Amino acid sequence: MTFGPFLFMAPLTLLGLIALPIIWIILRATPPSPKAAQLPSLRLLENVDAKEETPARTPWWILLLRLGAAALAILGLAAPIYAPGAQQSETSDGPVLVVIDDGWTSAQRWGEVRAAALSALDGEARDTPAHMLLTAPRSLNVDPNERLSRAAFEARIRSLQAQPWAVDRETALARLDESGLRPSRILWLTDGLDPDSAAPFARSLLSKAPLSIFAARARGPLALTRLNADARGVTLMATRAETIRASEHFLSALTLDGAALATAELRFEAGQSTASATFALPPAALSQIARFQVTGSATAGTVWLWDSADRTRRIGVVSGDSTAQPLLSDIHYVRKALEPFATISDGELTDLIDENPDAIILTDIGQIDPQARAAISNWIEQGGALIRFAGPRMAGPQTESAVDDLVPAPLRRSSRAIGGTLTWEEPQPLGDFPEASPFAGLTPPDDIRVRQQVLARPGPELARRTWARLADGSPLVTADRRGQGTLILFHVTAGPDWSDLPYAGVFVDMLRRSIAAGRGEAISDEEGLYSPSLTLNAAGGLTQPSAGATPLRASDFGTVIPSEEHPPGLYQGPAGTRALNVAAEYTATAMTDWPSGARLLGDAEARTIRLGGLLLAAAIALLCLDLIVALGLAGRLPALQRAVAAGLVITLTGSLALPGDSAAQSGFQRFTDDIGDKETAAALDMRLAYIETGDARADRATKAGLEGLSLVLFRRSSVEPAAPHAVDPETDALDVYPVIFLALPDTPEPLSETAMARLNAYMRNGGALFIDTRRGGEIGAGNSFDDLDRVLAGLDTPPLAPVPQDHVLTRSYYLLQSFQGRYANRNLWIEATGAADKTERRGDGVSRLFVGDADYLAAWAIDERGRPIYSVDGGDTQREMSIRFGVNLIIYILTGNYKEDQVHVPALLERLGEDDGVGDFDLDEDVIP
Amino acid sequence: MISISTLRADAEVLARQLPGLALQAAAADVIHPGAAGRKRAGSGEQFWQYRRYTQTDAADRIDWRRSARGDEYFVRETELETARTVLFWTDPQAGFDWSSDPGRETKADRARTIMLALGILLAKDGERIGLLSGSRPASIGKSAADKLAEDLLSSAAERIDPPRAQALAVVASDFYDGTETWRARLAPLARTCRHGVLLAISDPVEHEFPFSGRTKFSRPGSSLDRLFGRAETVRDTYLEKMAAHEAALQKLAEHMGWALIKHRTDQTSLRGAAALQVALERFGGKA
Repeated sequence: MTFGPFLFMAPLTLLGLIALPIIWIILRATPPSPKAAQLPSLRLLENVDAKEETPARTPWWILLLRLGAAALAILGLAAPIYAPGAQQSETSDGPVLVVIDDGWTSAQRWGEVRAAALSALDGEARDTPAHMLLTAPRSLNVDPNERLSRAAFEARIRSLQAQPWAVDRETALARLDESGLRPSRILWLTDGLDPDSAAPFARSLLSKAPLSIFAARARGPLALTRLNADARGVTLMATRAETIRASEHFLSALTLDGAALATAELRFEAGQSTASATFALPPAALSQIARFQVTGSATAGTVWLWDSADRTRRIGVVSGDSTAQPLLSDIHYVRKALEPFATISDGELTDLIDENPDAIILTDIGQIDPQARAAISNWIEQGGALIRFAGPRMAGPQTESAVDDLVPAPLRRSSRAIGGTLTWEEPQPLGDFPEASPFAGLTPPDDIRVRQQVLARPGPELARRTWARLADGSPLVTADRRGQGTLILFHVTAGPDWSDLPYAGVFVDMLRRSIAAGRGEAISDEEGLYSPSLTLNAAGGLTQPSAGATPLRASDFGTVIPSEEHPPGLYQGPAGTRALNVAAEYTATAMTDWPSGARLLGDAEARTIRLGGLLLAAAIALLCLDLIVALGLAGRLPALQRAVAAGLVITLTGSLALPGDSAAQSGFQRFTDDIGDKETAAALDMRLAYIETGDARADRATKAGLEGLSLVLFRRSSVEPAAPHAVDPETDALDVYPVIFLALPDTPEPLSETAMARLNAYMRNGGALFIDTRRGGEIGAGNSFDDLDRVLAGLDTPPLAPVPQDHVLTRSYYLLQSFQGRYANRNLWIEATGAADKTERRGDGVSRLFVGDADYLAAWAIDERGRPIYSVDGGDTQREMSIRFGVNLIIYILTGNYKEDQVHVPALLERLGEDDGVGDFDLDEDVIP
Repeated sequence: MISISTLRADAEVLARQLPGLALQAAAADVIHPGAAGRKRAGSGEQFWQYRRYTQTDAADRIDWRRSARGDEYFVRETELETARTVLFWTDPQAGFDWSSDPGRETKADRARTIMLALGILLAKDGERIGLLSGSRPASIGKSAADKLAEDLLSSAAERIDPPRAQALAVVASDFYDGTETWRARLAPLARTCRHGVLLAISDPVEHEFPFSGRTKFSRPGSSLDRLFGRAETVRDTYLEKMAAHEAALQKLAEHMGWALIKHRTDQTSLRGAAALQVALERFGGKA
């Protein structure tokens, strides 16, 4: 039922309005109920008459409020719709112009568009001629002037297909103007998107003739707009036109022949027009994927063709050096540069070739054995990219029998050092990248200096093979094609030894482009012409390209707008296939601002407003108001106000009191900062750490011990540790702590394998581990380290020895004779320094592992007032000695062998012939300044 | 109604807070809390006489301080004291077992706590305690407090039966039934008991009358109610009536020769208990 611009979906409900007078009468009759109170002393009031009674009738404004609520509720239930465009329109008998948006955005509801177009000649307009205007540009456009009879129009419409490219309403309008057609009415079948072009278009059409608009806006996800690939998988962005409701969809990843490999959930949140879906797939599976598609909705927009250009590469890495210090290793820089973009595996060269990665990176490999050389040559021939970095080994002398032919250009067997003390030349910056190089387009940074390089023998081919050179023209990167593959040589090391290149961002781009050279791609990329091999139709199917499709220059990818000449699809070129996606970077915006004179059909009706919910909400709001008023009348509201006021006061005073409290905190306990991000806190302040064993007593003693030691360090030395941390070796970042203490409880639980692996890595990277078995006090316990093998199974233990008398540990801060803990005269075991080869000694010969059983931590332990907690065998003297050992230990851990020279001071002084007072130097237990 | 364990615990706490020692010291001279000297040797606190040691006396009864002065042994005898009886009664009406705030004790519970605390103290001093109109006679000794606690919670005697013998009576109520009603009710008791205490316990709401707006009042335990359109208008009248009621109650107590203790449940129970103790001590002294 219509009622002016209002339309009632349930008009019978309006009969409920008749009930309003009855409600009025009932409401007038019932006074608000009094509140009840109990009072035992009521008898005192027995003879008292109340002076004033409440009006028995409800005040008129409450009546009005309640009647309003009831009326609103009734109106709301009648489901009124405000639809100003819904008025009936007259049909005229002049020629009708049917304008159709036949771009890819219409494809999803193309059937409806077609049906609506066919209905244009229904009814009274049966015999009027029809004209057609299609807004998606074609090389041969339909002439709007062409008169179509009903039968011809139907045939034309039935064969009409949406195009897999976007509409161009401006040129369509220009064509219409050009044709001079004067239609008597216009039916516009639109996708209801892109108000920027749709609004002026609609106004122009309206100015020509009465306009009816049928909008079939795509439902659900409209288009896949972007793809991001990294080592973890692939993320696709999708957009949609309607934003109100949340909705869920699925994306499928398909191979070239249409088999689905994986699906991912695509969830639009309410109010969001974009959403993303992530495919976490192994690289081998990713390489099979040719396109992504919204499951159950195939249009040119909801299919994303994936070309090989942005696939995640698989890379094998072989390193020449075997240093245990990762930050000094060449391979570290390669890894860091490529990790976000590629899947990296390392291992032996022959194994890597079997894996057939996209590229193999060799850092400073001098000799490659003949067998591996043959295999790798073969692999390159088949399209692999071998990227080599120079280094001392490559620059070293070689035997004639094993000439390294895996270089793009013959090398001089010596490296060139620039900028040393014995050279006249300055270190060289990078020159411009040659035009023909894949690096062309990168900007060489100014602040990069190359200090050393291997040099290529000059030859006629050298200039062509050079991808990058230094400012003085000497080649920095050379490359040569071998079969389908490429051999690339960086004339510097991958680490910062020879140049600053690994520090630069351009290094990442150079590596990425070098890797892309594998599999016959990316060579002189900008030059190639790509011809269409498979094109998408509007329904999202891959078809053979039509005759009108023309090749595309490689440089045009990313800027070209898909059209009939360049339909979306896969283009084959010299460097593999490239995809042209119609919906790339598309943003869906729904058209809502329809011109007021137009008659709206289909989704355009969405402009209508359903008032039912609003009215019901208003009714509920009125009822809430009524409730508050009723409470107020019954005298309950003052309590409410008091509660609110009290709440406010509490909040205010609370917020005022807090800063004062925190400022008041001071005194002995300065360890208050263990809130917040533990890792950050540990990285910002030096602090001791301990492993929680799960035994509460032992852990408490350990914590107290470390607090005591921290305090002593703070007071006596320039080491000012923050509050000790308890760490979980399985989850916490260990590298931020200089030393980790592990005091074993009486019945220790073995540490997990993960924990042991991480502790091993921690010690390998220079961390120190102090293990205290706390068994030194058990008489006749035998070897107090018996249990260690079980608890710390898998700990990377070097040979251990008791601390020698002249060890740095006895000198690093205090001069100590022995290392006292809670128990006297126990041995402390450290790494034996007698390792044969100096290079095999870890961490410059500084012991990274300390094993003792004298319960040192208990001797250091203090309570919150700074008093010692546990008794010590030798009383306060031994406690002091133990604390001195703790200070020595931390200083040793922090400074390493810095004090080793000090150990030799007596000998040095003796050698200088200054014997006076040197003899008792050893015995003096004073601080060495 | 509170549970017996809570009641017992509260009362014990209260009893500990009360100055028991001061009571004993006081009992030694002027104000005697109930035990009356019988002017002959027996069990009691007061010194009565030294007498020669006889073979039948136990060795630990010898008073060494006195015996050390001469060659003979002396035994210290104290004056015989017999226990006095203190009887309690709480109003069983629903209006008395009522509290305006669920977080606060009801008036009856407060009365029981205070009375039991005093009962514990009295029992410790060897007095006989019990319930007026109780099912069992007043008892003495350690278990007396336990029995009193049970009786206080279980008794629901509407009437107040006068005891057979002279006793101190403690009557706890809110006395809202009107002075005349109470006079009639207490008359037989007053005839038997020369002294007693009226423990008038009230809820703070009954003093403040914090009602406003349209309010329907009802008495707990009665289905009758009374509607006031604007409760705040009768407040002044109510307060006047309340003051008059208290004055009348005071007069009634004076007339009977009893003491009136007014206690509100928003005060600490210690205050009420102390007041009751003072009153009992006063009457104990006169006895």
